[in-house]
Amino acid sequence: MSRLSAARITVRRGGRAIVDDVSFDLEDGAFVALVGANGAGKSTLLSVLAGLMAADGGAVSLDGQALEGLDRRDLARRRAYLPQNPRAEWPIAVERLVALGLTPYLPAFGGLPGGLEPRLTQALEACDLLDHRLQPATTLSGGELARAMLARALIGDPQVLIADEPTAGLDPKHALDTMRRLKALAGQGKLVVAALHDLTLAARYSTHLMALENGRLAAFGPTAGVLTPALLKQVFDVEARIVGEGPSASVDYLAAGAGA
Amino acid sequence: MRPGPAGLPTILALLVLAAAAVASVFVGRVSLSPAELTQGMFHPQTMAGLVVTELRIPRTVLAILVGASLGLSGAVLQGLLRNPLAEPGLLGVTNGAALGAVVSIYFGLSHNFGLATPLLGMAGAVAAGALTYALGRGSSLTLILAGAAASSLMAAFLALALNFAPSPYAAYEMNVWMLGSLAERSWDHVLLAAPFVAAGLAVLATMGRAVDALALGDLQAESLGIRLDRTRVLALLGVGLCVGAATSVTGAVGFIGLVAPHLIRPFVGYQPSRTLLPSALAGAALLLLADIGTRLIHTNTELRLGVLTSLLGAPFFFWLVIRVRKTAP
Amino acid sequence: MRPALRAAVIGIAAVLAGAGGPMASAAERAAPQRIMSLNLCTDLLVLQLAPKSRIASVSFLAHDGAQALFPGLDAGVPTNRGSAEDIVRAKPDLVLDSELASPFIRTLAGKVGARVVAVKDADNFADIRDIVRQVGEAVGAPARAEALIARMDATLADLAAHPPKRRLRVVAWSGGSAVPGKGSLTDAIITAAGGINIAAQPGHSEGSFGVEELLAARPELLLYGGAALGKPSLLTDEAQHRVVRTLYAGRRIAYNDVAHTCGLPQSADSARDLRQAMEAVIAKQEAAR
Repeated sequence: MSRLSAARITVRRGGRAIVDDVSFDLEDGAFVALVGANGAGKSTLLSVLAGLMAADGGAVSLDGQALEGLDRRDLARRRAYLPQNPRAEWPIAVERLVALGLTPYLPAFGGLPGGLEPRLTQALEACDLLDHRLQPATTLSGGELARAMLARALIGDPQVLIADEPTAGLDPKHALDTMRRLKALAGQGKLVVAALHDLTLAARYSTHLMALENGRLAAFGPTAGVLTPALLKQVFDVEARIVGEGPSASVDYLAAGAGA
Repeated sequence: MRPGPAGLPTILALLVLAAAAVASVFVGRVSLSPAELTQGMFHPQTMAGLVVTELRIPRTVLAILVGASLGLSGAVLQGLLRNPLAEPGLLGVTNGAALGAVVSIYFGLSHNFGLATPLLGMAGAVAAGALTYALGRGSSLTLILAGAAASSLMAAFLALALNFAPSPYAAYEMNVWMLGSLAERSWDHVLLAAPFVAAGLAVLATMGRAVDALALGDLQAESLGIRLDRTRVLALLGVGLCVGAATSVTGAVGFIGLVAPHLIRPFVGYQPSRTLLPSALAGAALLLLADIGTRLIHTNTELRLGVLTSLLGAPFFFWLVIRVRKTAP
Repeated sequence: MRPALRAAVIGIAAVLAGAGGPMASAAERAAPQRIMSLNLCTDLLVLQLAPKSRIASVSFLAHDGAQALFPGLDAGVPTNRGSAEDIVRAKPDLVLDSELASPFIRTLAGKVGARVVAVKDADNFADIRDIVRQVGEAVGAPARAEALIARMDATLADLAAHPPKRRLRVVAWSGGSAVPGKGSLTDAIITAAGGINIAAQPGHSEGSFGVEELLAARPELLLYGGAALGKPSLLTDEAQHRVVRTLYAGRRIAYNDVAHTCGLPQSADSARDLRQAMEAVIAKQEAAR
């Protein structure tokens, strides 16, 4: 039984299929990079995978159970979701922001139960946020905020993390840092699915690569085998060269395709 | 997470509220000595007794109910919409409630069916809030614009209803409905509004977790198991219940819902859930203080409550706009 | 007159008619055949003074007022809304209106060939005599006017000749902050009935009389208006304040708004009614003793 599977997912908007008949099975320990051109349907597919959007056709299941049938709190405990460019709406302290990740574990009223306190410290520590513990979240730098949001996602110890463009807006250092953390999570046996724009980062850190083209699944498999110039030509309409392999791989774009 | 001084703002707000409540009993248009009034509390048949038990205490209780409604509604709406300018008045809810009450009172419905006024007030509040939300959801800006539109539409209907009302005093009483008043209210009014206000406050008080999670935005809140649709409906219902019932006995009182949460927020580390209860208390204290103000400032006819809250609230609003401009990216 | 109602009446009238001009004596002209009244108070006078056949129209407010004083007297009389168009269409030869009405209507009435008679607001019984005579002369019924005045004066004289056992403290309180004080017609009525109008006493200002002040002033009898024009409003809601309701149960007397708002011969009847109510309260007080 696979951890997260999609069976013939289709999402239509205005008569057009944004996600078109997509099926796959994902296992623990994988770091799946979801790539595709702008408008290929990456964000939509992630929302459906996270159970935040209902598909018009097909079904997503987590541990063999259909998402629609799951209790929302239960689902929230088992998978975490990070949208693109998450931000804090109030200047609450970092520790309180991170603790919000425990929402599905909390009773309706009252503060954080004492038993969950160590988890908070642990999550802050794991994301190197102990120094920022009491700082208002709105004053964090972009990289710090990304770490805080990651800590927020991980504090509930979910089995699956779904992140939409987790490196968007980050400088190279913080982008690399984020990728390293995501990969480490997969290394701990979690399933990580992230939409990525930077193909070099995808090539270096992901274990699997999933490419969407106009809502259809163009390719899915271990990154090393799937990421080829031919695929990039097909999906992004660019001439590209892939140099190296694994942690030292890099993707160079040579020319835009004829259709651009 | 350390527990923090969560109790402190609550205790502080409670103390101010208690002091204001006591002052409210001792201040009025007729000056009676504290001794007479204290005596009166135990001898309700004397003149001082009647003034205390039938006039000043119900007025105080009503001020607390209305102020708490506005304060808590403001805190929930600001948390829900993540908009520091949100409050029942700006979203059209208050004027909608006043419209419902006016229709009930001036066209004789309340005469035939006592609960008509709060019920129609709540219906008006929910309708106006739903209209604002339906038209304006999406961004803060569109929401505020839709709120302004719904608010002026309700005000126009209000004026229309008062124009067509058979009573010769209807147009004359327009200002009460637009500016609110606690003058000459009795236990009758308290009893009429209290059950609905209490129900509304109870609904809103359950929304702490939701407004907390919403500090992360709609998507993350939803991913944390918060049901956004249900949360919004509950908020609208809660605000409609308490603001609708409150406004139907006092008219529209502005700015309390806006100001109260802002006073509290810095003391609770800006956490939306911790803003709720203290905001209710602060709203009650603010309204009570404003009402005492209307009694202390001697004019030939009593100064309208809404005039005072607007005079105090509008500059605050300006300050808020300036601050939002500064912190906006 | 209760200020709020007076404001409403004046407000309507102010839009309509002009100030009065110099009056020629009735003998110099034939009795008007198409009389148009634009104001509730002149409506109620003209209905009593002129035959229906010579009344072109009265204001739309007249019916409620007539209903309260002399039901049926206005039956079949057309009504107007006091607009310029009404005047042009009706082609009246006499227009009766309040002194405080707009000059525009007066000019317009002059243009259609009507004489305009502006009638002042009556604040006491002397004023009432003046305006009854004025309207009587204008409509060509001076004898009828004198008869009405004589009847009113007889009632007043009777009240004065038999003063009440005790002068009760009275206030005309109908909720809100509009209470008739010194110099109002209501004050004159209360005085004629043999009561003391609390709102006319030094230290009480007209227009400000909350429930709290009402209790503090300890009136023995409350006059309660709004019954005749009893349309629900906040003011009537305030007038029903429960402390007033319970404390003054049996000591709240509904009065006839119209006779307090407009100076009419019937204002003396209001004083007589009030006297009866006061005597009933005094009798009850004595029985309780």
